[in-house]
Amino acid sequence: MARSREEILKEVQQVLVDALGVDDDEITTDATLMGDLGAESIDFLDIVFRLEKAFAIKIPREELFPAESLMNNPNFISNGKLTKSGLEELRNKMPHTDISKFQNDPDINKLGDLFTVNAIVNYLEKKLNAA
Amino acid sequence: MRWIWIDKFIEFQSGDHAVAVKNVTLAEEHLHDHFPGFPIMPECLLIEAMAQTAGILVGEAKNFKEKVILAKIKKCVFFDYVKPGDSIKIHAKIESIAPEAASTSGKITCEDKLIAQIELMFSHIDQNLAGKQFPKENFVFTDMFRSLLRGMVLTRPDCDTPKSEQP
Amino acid sequence: MRFILIDKIVSMQSRKEIITVKNVTLAEEYLADHFPTFPVLPGVLLLEGLIESASWLVREAENFAHSIILLEEARNVKYKSFLAPGSGIVYTVQAKAIEENVSSFTGFGLSDGQQIIEAKFALRHFNLAEKDSALSDVDSQIIENMKTRFKLLKG
Repeated sequence: MARSREEILKEVQQVLVDALGVDDDEITTDATLMGDLGAESIDFLDIVFRLEKAFAIKIPREELFPAESLMNNPNFISNGKLTKSGLEELRNKMPHTDISKFQNDPDINKLGDLFTVNAIVNYLEKKLNAA
Repeated sequence: MRWIWIDKFIEFQSGDHAVAVKNVTLAEEHLHDHFPGFPIMPECLLIEAMAQTAGILVGEAKNFKEKVILAKIKKCVFFDYVKPGDSIKIHAKIESIAPEAASTSGKITCEDKLIAQIELMFSHIDQNLAGKQFPKENFVFTDMFRSLLRGMVLTRPDCDTPKSEQP
Repeated sequence: MRFILIDKIVSMQSRKEIITVKNVTLAEEYLADHFPTFPVLPGVLLLEGLIESASWLVREAENFAHSIILLEEARNVKYKSFLAPGSGIVYTVQAKAIEENVSSFTGFGLSDGQQIIEAKFALRHFNLAEKDSALSDVDSQIIENMKTRFKLLKG
């Protein structure tokens, strides 16, 4: 079911307010889930469940937050940074994120910064409009 | 004091919802501290009654293979309090379930009064918490909990033949 | 089991913040069930530690005006790690607002620097006599009891 970007953003903001207990004005499009909004792994699951209900879709976790498969593959990580093939994998698995800044210093500890409110909206926009 | 906050199940639809019952009695020592002269079942123990009802519901949905632990109280609201002599019903429903976690909603009632609404999230800890070591056996679902389901006919919404919990 | 989930009030800033501690010991009987082979303080009792800490902020702020203080609501209560016997936990609770019959707080618990629990919650406070004047003696009894407990916890 197609939805406008504004509608999606509004719904995402409400989900994040409920799941993370933050105020709506903290949920800017650039806000990172972990750094700015304090989300942890249980919150990521809570968010996925709520988004599934809100948009009546199934969201395989590896589609929205695929970092784990990246982190666990030795071909993709070297000295705490993503390798070339790691970055390629990232580009393929997470087209909804903006890796332009990240690729200059692909430190795996900074991977979490890719999960922004915008990334979620991008993912949903694509998924809902493809259906 | 035994750490069990439900007495029996009166309804159990596998993978979907369940209703448990707990009787509240003056014989429970902790009530005499909360509060001395006016015993009230502490709200945190109402949450635990829900956690055990919903946790068993989630655990049974995976045949008790997962160690199901309370990870987050999404929201709980209390409208009234519970006293000795009251019998409460704990209604739990699975909202979502995935390999690593589950989300439940539910309410606690006492006769026709709404006592609480409680939404929880459970983690299947072997699938999460990388790096932490846990005993191999499922220490969460002990005989004490599994015995609550003994003799219950667990209906499944999608099949005609109910299954019963093996003793 | 005695239903008191904090051992000591370490510090208190009236109407603002309270810091309390609780020791966890195998002598606490319910640990045998939670869980056998892996004893850890139940999550709801960690929350109770925060609730009790906040209740003392309320009682002190209102000069023990009310007997009954109950949890009205809790949100985003997250359990981040386990607390085992032999460990202790330090609870820090900050008041957002303390009004006559309701109050709201944020709180967290740390053990050896590790985060164990965080929560946002609200309490409600009242006297039984408000609904039934015959219970005003019971209110007085509870309040006296709480005053004694407060002295014990403050040391």
